[in-house]
Amino acid sequence: MKAFTYERVTSAKEAAAKIKSAQSAKFIAGGTNLLDLMKLEIETPQHLIDVNGLGFDKIEKTHDGGLRVGALVRNTTLAADATVRRDYSVLSRALLAGASGQLRNKATTAGNLLQRTRCPYFYDTNQPCNKRKPGSGCSAIGGVNRQLGIVGVSEACMATNPSDMSVAMRVLDAKVETINAEGRLSALPHYSWSASQWMMTSVSAHASGPSRRCLAFSKYDCAALSAYSAMEPPSLNVAPAIATIRALKRSRNCSLSTFVNIAASI
Amino acid sequence: VLQEIKAGIPSHVSADLTSQPQPTYAETRERMSGNICRCGAYSNIAEAMAEVAGSST
Repeated sequence: MKAFTYERVTSAKEAAAKIKSAQSAKFIAGGTNLLDLMKLEIETPQHLIDVNGLGFDKIEKTHDGGLRVGALVRNTTLAADATVRRDYSVLSRALLAGASGQLRNKATTAGNLLQRTRCPYFYDTNQPCNKRKPGSGCSAIGGVNRQLGIVGVSEACMATNPSDMSVAMRVLDAKVETINAEGRLSALPHYSWSASQWMMTSVSAHASGPSRRCLAFSKYDCAALSAYSAMEPPSLNVAPAIATIRALKRSRNCSLSTFVNIAASI
Repeated sequence: VLQEIKAGIPSHVSADLTSQPQPTYAETRERMSGNICRCGAYSNIAEAMAEVAGSST
């Protein structure tokens, strides 16, 4: 592991200002992904900004009938929340499918979305990887890529996001809420947000519209329906889609992210 | 693990997310997974947990 400096911050604006000014700095909350990557020297930050003291640990209902989850709510807390278990079961199920109890006790909502891909070539520092070292090339394309992306890939990268929670958040039309060094607030769909210079404060989700139909089904159904609905919003026909998805699930043994990609490419 | 069940935290094998989880064999096994090393002593640990929880395996 490379040497690094460390500090705790006391406000979100301060955190955003520090990440903007410090060289090669990273936020740390649960550290369940970052520390592993630092030990392997895949991530080599020179400075860590500990955001655990900032609060952002509430799960609250929004005035428009949605749910706002603080960036630092732990995965266990979110999965066990009574409202989430009752009205957002897809979110609870997705969280419980990931990691282990010990990791979920530490891992945060923001960190879950910000975790890095598990592409084996991203992890192997002897191999070229555009995600780890932009411009170096992609070893996964033409390599061992059974668990990697099928749709939504490019000539530069075919890695998938490893988060199960992210799939549930997609089904729930989640938005990521952030603040920058000037105190400006922003809210973007969670899949289109990129991290630089903004501090994530919360994630807001809605169990309404097409998502609500999915809530009674398993997370695989939800994920695949989400992929279907993203591709063909006007012609989404739930019953045949569910039948196709269940048949696929029986015939294939693969990870959720791969499954979503397969379902989306039908 | 037993405290976690008592606190009502669901797991991947909880059939119903909204009801209180019970210290069944499946629940304790799932919660030990990735948490306690299972080499060799695993069955005895599971039985000991069931005994403490007052349920049969």
